[in-house]
Amino acid sequence: MKLNYNTIKAVSIIGLVLLIICGFMLNGKKDPNSPGVEFMPDMYRSPSVEVYGVTKFNGDDIYSTQFMPVKGTIARGYIPYAYPNTPEGYEQAGLYLKNPIASSAEVLAEAQLLYTKNCVHCHGATGAGDGKVGQKLPGAPPAYNSGTIKNLPEGKIFHSITYGKGLMGNHASILTTEERWKLVLFVQTLQGPKETAVADSTAKTTPAVAEVKKEEPKH
Amino acid sequence: MSSIHKNPGNSARKNMYNRMFHFSFKSLLGIAMMLVLFSGNIKAADGAKLFKAKCAVCHYSHTDQKLTGPGLKGVFDRVPPGDWINRWILNNEKMIKSGDAYANKIYTENGKAAMNVFEAELKAEDVDAIIGFLKGPAPVVVVPGKPAGGTGTEGEEVKPGIEPLYLVLGIIVLLAIMITTFRSVRTSLQNSANRTEGKPESPDLTFFEEAKLWMSGHRRFVGVMCIIIGFIGMKSCWDACYDIGVYYDWETNKGYHPEQPIKFSHKIHAGDNEIACQYCHNTVEKSRHAGIPSVNVCMNCHKGIQEGATTGKDEIAKIHYAAGFDPADPNKWNPNDASKQHPLAWLKVHNLPDHVYFNHSQHVVVGKIDCAKCHGDVKAMTTVEQKAPLTMRWCVDCHRTTEVAMEGNAYYDRLHKALKEKYKGQYDVKFTVDKIGGLECQKCHY
Repeated sequence: MKLNYNTIKAVSIIGLVLLIICGFMLNGKKDPNSPGVEFMPDMYRSPSVEVYGVTKFNGDDIYSTQFMPVKGTIARGYIPYAYPNTPEGYEQAGLYLKNPIASSAEVLAEAQLLYTKNCVHCHGATGAGDGKVGQKLPGAPPAYNSGTIKNLPEGKIFHSITYGKGLMGNHASILTTEERWKLVLFVQTLQGPKETAVADSTAKTTPAVAEVKKEEPKH
Repeated sequence: MSSIHKNPGNSARKNMYNRMFHFSFKSLLGIAMMLVLFSGNIKAADGAKLFKAKCAVCHYSHTDQKLTGPGLKGVFDRVPPGDWINRWILNNEKMIKSGDAYANKIYTENGKAAMNVFEAELKAEDVDAIIGFLKGPAPVVVVPGKPAGGTGTEGEEVKPGIEPLYLVLGIIVLLAIMITTFRSVRTSLQNSANRTEGKPESPDLTFFEEAKLWMSGHRRFVGVMCIIIGFIGMKSCWDACYDIGVYYDWETNKGYHPEQPIKFSHKIHAGDNEIACQYCHNTVEKSRHAGIPSVNVCMNCHKGIQEGATTGKDEIAKIHYAAGFDPADPNKWNPNDASKQHPLAWLKVHNLPDHVYFNHSQHVVVGKIDCAKCHGDVKAMTTVEQKAPLTMRWCVDCHRTTEVAMEGNAYYDRLHKALKEKYKGQYDVKFTVDKIGGLECQKCHY
């Protein structure tokens, strides 16, 4: 084939069209798991260790979520909780743990907000155990105003929010001590008035538990 | 005689009494049996209800599967005979303290997790009803929302109709073909007309030569058009610069939506189950970061919910693996034991470049901005998708138009007073974010 001006023109046009088509196809086959082209990637990703990031360390992938604080580290404002996660600890908390926060309309309004964010999906808006998630659980959480829970002392409520109880998990990781005490105040409004008669039966166990009493946390 | 006379009378009466007695006895028996049957039914139904209300939180009724407490399948073969089980249900604490051997055995076997004392809540007949339910057949469990036939996986979205891009390209090609045909038809017609009139044939010009000729005849128009097209081109280049680094998938008309290590659906959790955003992203009001929940927050619900309606057990099993949780032995799970845990590498969807400072708590608590304003309707998303471009223009536009919620916001009390003083007499001033320094460079870049 003789290479004249027209053939070169035709070949270059066909090449250009092919290039454009390839461009479109590549664009269509973009990886959906890629965030796309980053302009100046070193400004997007700094060499510092990021929260939730993965860092190469001695050839291993280290997830920053795996890092534990240095032993004995205490977060600012953190109050250690003295009662252990045992049946005895539960009883002790019920007897000796008292709410450091006084109830007021303002605190209760705040507590209700906390309740709608953290509790409502299982325990329901009125504490009847009729939340959307509660209904999907193998058994719905018991209503606050039923059975023994109606007369549950504030210390036991706090203990249960802190460590969880039964199917309920530990909520100390997402709620501060103060928030948990505020929630106790709101839960108490959902419990309704207490029956004094049953409260006496719990008092009977007092002497046995009093011997193993631990130091109360300072609030 | 009288006695003789009496006797048949007596015997007849006796017979009558007997018959009556028999009749009434039979009917009484029938009524009693019916009562027993019915009450049995009532009891069984009550038992199921009572079990669901009081026991199901910790026990599965007709399987070996452990929850907080052991599964209750075959429980009557295990426990000591007689009324042991009744006493245990009513007050297990008393039995453990009394030194009952089997009571202490199961107490230690189950990690000394104390069962509730039900003396105050349940009567003796309630306990009988629950036992009746446990001895009866397993209830039929209906999983809500589970599709009847399908595998439950969501298919790829298939959009009807033609892609607009291909439509435009097709129209352009069609127009080009039409223009070239009409042009050749016109030239050949004109040539034949010229031939019949004896005029010379018009020269056979190529398309470009003809275009050049036409352009030299319309210089002013061509010049103006060039300037306009040039400006439009420059403006679109400028606009395109704003979108550098913004991922947008024109194929699916979606923002960045990577596949996560677990097929977590916000639609199920935040939409259907109405779990508040702040429950899982619990640092959003306290910190810069909204936070990805640690697995123990997942486990708050998934200790109990081990099977989902759409993905079955597979996806939830991934959480259990990450948490180091063994569904067969739930009481041994220790959330603080890192040796059995496996980190989850979630992919970050909303990524701001490192040289920008953004604070969630500032926007959510003080600014009272709703999550959906920047993240879109996440409650309806199965896979999370980036809705906002997260570019600087986007930030600045919002800061220019959003009014600061100052009324009744204690954070702004002092500033609000000062601003009122500054803009005294100007009633149409809106306190948008840029008025309080929302456009200053060093607020976000430092």
